[in-house]
Amino acid sequence: MATVPKVEVGTDYKEKYGFFVPEEYVFKAKRGLNPDIVKEISWMKQEPEWMTKMRLRSLEIFRKKPMPTWGADLSVIDFENIFYYLKASDKQSKTWEDLPPDIKATYDRLGVPEAERKFLAGVSAQYESEVVYHSLQEELTKKGVIFTDTDSALRDHPDLFKEYFGTVIPPADNKFSALNTAVWSGGSFIYVPKGVRVDIPLQAYFRINAENMGQFERTLIICDEGSFVHYIEGCTAPIYTTDSLHSAVVEIIVKKNARCRYTTIQNWSTNVFNLVTKRAMAYGDATMEWVDGNLGSQITMKYPSVYLMEPGAKGDVLSVAFAGKGQHQDAGGKMIHVAPNTTSTITSKSISKGGGRTSYRGHIKIYPGANNCKSFVKCDALLLDDESRSDTYPYNDVDAENVTLGHEATVSKVSDEQLFYLMSRGIARAEAETMIVNGFIEPFTKELPLEYAVELNRLIQLEMEGSVG
Amino acid sequence: MGFNPESLAVLQGEPDWLQQRRRGALATYERLPSPSKTDEEWRRTDVSRFDPGQFSTLEHLDGLKLERPSGLPSGVILKPLRQAAKDHPELVEPRLFTLVHADRDRFAALHAAFFTGGTFLYVPDGVEFDQPVLGQHFSHEGGNSVLPHTLIVAGKNSRFNYLDEYVAEDDAETGYRSGSTEIFLGEGAQVGYVAVQKWGRNVWHFADQRAELQKDSTLRLFNVTLGGKFSKTRVEASLAGEGSNAELKAIYFASGEQFFDFHTLQDHRVGNTRSDLLFKGALQDVSRTVYAGLIRIEKHAQRSDAYQANRNLVLSDKAKATSIPMLEIDNNDVRCTHGATVGPVDPDHLFYLRSRGIPEATAKRMLIQGFFGDVLDRIPFEHARKLVEAELESRIG
Repeated sequence: MATVPKVEVGTDYKEKYGFFVPEEYVFKAKRGLNPDIVKEISWMKQEPEWMTKMRLRSLEIFRKKPMPTWGADLSVIDFENIFYYLKASDKQSKTWEDLPPDIKATYDRLGVPEAERKFLAGVSAQYESEVVYHSLQEELTKKGVIFTDTDSALRDHPDLFKEYFGTVIPPADNKFSALNTAVWSGGSFIYVPKGVRVDIPLQAYFRINAENMGQFERTLIICDEGSFVHYIEGCTAPIYTTDSLHSAVVEIIVKKNARCRYTTIQNWSTNVFNLVTKRAMAYGDATMEWVDGNLGSQITMKYPSVYLMEPGAKGDVLSVAFAGKGQHQDAGGKMIHVAPNTTSTITSKSISKGGGRTSYRGHIKIYPGANNCKSFVKCDALLLDDESRSDTYPYNDVDAENVTLGHEATVSKVSDEQLFYLMSRGIARAEAETMIVNGFIEPFTKELPLEYAVELNRLIQLEMEGSVG
Repeated sequence: MGFNPESLAVLQGEPDWLQQRRRGALATYERLPSPSKTDEEWRRTDVSRFDPGQFSTLEHLDGLKLERPSGLPSGVILKPLRQAAKDHPELVEPRLFTLVHADRDRFAALHAAFFTGGTFLYVPDGVEFDQPVLGQHFSHEGGNSVLPHTLIVAGKNSRFNYLDEYVAEDDAETGYRSGSTEIFLGEGAQVGYVAVQKWGRNVWHFADQRAELQKDSTLRLFNVTLGGKFSKTRVEASLAGEGSNAELKAIYFASGEQFFDFHTLQDHRVGNTRSDLLFKGALQDVSRTVYAGLIRIEKHAQRSDAYQANRNLVLSDKAKATSIPMLEIDNNDVRCTHGATVGPVDPDHLFYLRSRGIPEATAKRMLIQGFFGDVLDRIPFEHARKLVEAELESRIG
């Protein structure tokens, strides 16, 4: 294995985010990966036989598939030195008060309680590998909306689960989707019945908190015809010095006339490998929107995609990446036009600083017969110093008639004119730069619910501290 | 049949160093595997049905018609490349295949082992001339290989234009073709280079063009791709000196079952450099094109400007265009934009012209002409512009 210098996680992390909770686990699986561990995970969860078989089959696929040779350098991942399953507490909590105090303490620092009380319908907060806290507003239950952790969904809604699980992202899709299918644990399951609009965003916080442990959550969202849901996923992770692997799979089915929005703010600590597969299928006149913000992790490889399956479907990706010292954000989006008269847009904003590297990687594919499609991609990159790096890799394949496809990208630095203007108004340089960066990502921030926008601005401010333009 | 050490024997009478290089390149060719679909550069470019060995006859070793500008200033060397290798080894040996590397892939190696024909042009420091040098590379018969190589050395503050034209006598010819070019631009040199590829419609064509630009030099490079069943062209500019400027332009018109592939590189190795790329193409029938280009701005290349655009006009529902414009920026003090479009003739434009009583076919032709218009204006010199306009006219016709 290549020896790659280990990136030091920012030593100011503790002050910055101010939390670090000692580990206390009910069950801790052994390190490494083999069929016995996979069987043990499945047995622990008392899963039906088909799931055990699927896990084992996926493990085989994972072993056969080569590591991707493109994108970020993944050679430092040691799959044998990772915990594939951890369970922080035995039972699922029903209310906030039932949560173990140390977990609550962690969430307090993130401001979850306010969000819970003011805005949220339900919080499905993932601490370690299992969803431990989960509440659901009564009105949602009345509407027939299912919002639960994925393990419970397999137990409580087996038919619905089996119908959709692994249909959008089959295990063999890529090496990491195979890994996830073999060892998945936790994640959210949402079913929105026909015509139901969920007015309040549903959200879950994900956390990693054990040395060398992997998180393999699995999210499945089904929006039935004419429904609407907005799901928010946000992550932060405390400091650890050895590499952690996070490899989630998110599958979304958006049926006729439905609309789904999936918002992510990813802020793993800078030793995490974040290798995520996110994909949605959008059917007739449906709309799928990915709002994807990547701030943390050492390496992120994530390309939310939309398969536009029937006429009138619309796909939207809004992606923001921020890479500081030692970070590589390889993010972007994919739009696969399978049906005619479908439209898609991808907007990417990236910021690199202190030697960080951001890459936009995208794919627009228009299949034969998918006529009259429109697709537009816009990428803007901001480089804050001359140590940093920005790349753009857009792949555009057009196989159909009367298709309009456009791609535009710019790379620039913070403009001297803008800085001069702000500084001439008595604003300090650092503050002025923060303002410009916040302005640069505004198209993204304004799509976020208020408390997230505030949090993001605060995070950017933290990241920008001490930056020298 | 096949390319082997015995087939090198026909290239007798060359200096030892060249023979040695050819043998080395042939060994590389034999060693390298055929590009496969797992290589990123070849993912969309299928060469699995191409066996160069079946075309191992080399046609007319120096089959090149060179039109020397009248009154060429003294000191200018213009002669077939193989002759120049004998007469001026001090100029040729240190440069030949140092920009276009023989070990890049199997086809580059084969070209380096068997190149024949082609031109060597050396323009000394400070020499300028207006009339372009015209190199015409002919193929008279099919079923063989025509592999010309052009080597251009522009001295300090020299200024001149050069046109390479690749012409088939029989439009239905088969065979293996490559036309590679290396251009060295000295400080302050200004070079216009145009390559017009009109091989027959059943040949396999591979071209590697690479230029290296020293301080304050300017390159205006223009490609026209019309021929071949399969045509793969690499266009690369290495901006090695401050103040250098590379303009890389191309037009292509694919019809029938033609497949065109373009890979470009704008490599900004030092600061204060500028590059501007525009590739425009029209696709008809069941043709396919792939454009993949990279702007690379290296660590200390501050204050560089780079532009890159690929525009595809898709005229048929069966034609297919792929466009991959890439950026790798390692420095923040740059201006860099790129763009790609793939689309049909704008229905609003068509409607406008038709509402003025212009028949649909004519209106469409006018719009295609308009599409190419802005890039045709960038052809570096008059002779080439007229040639290209006439070619295009007959295709759009």
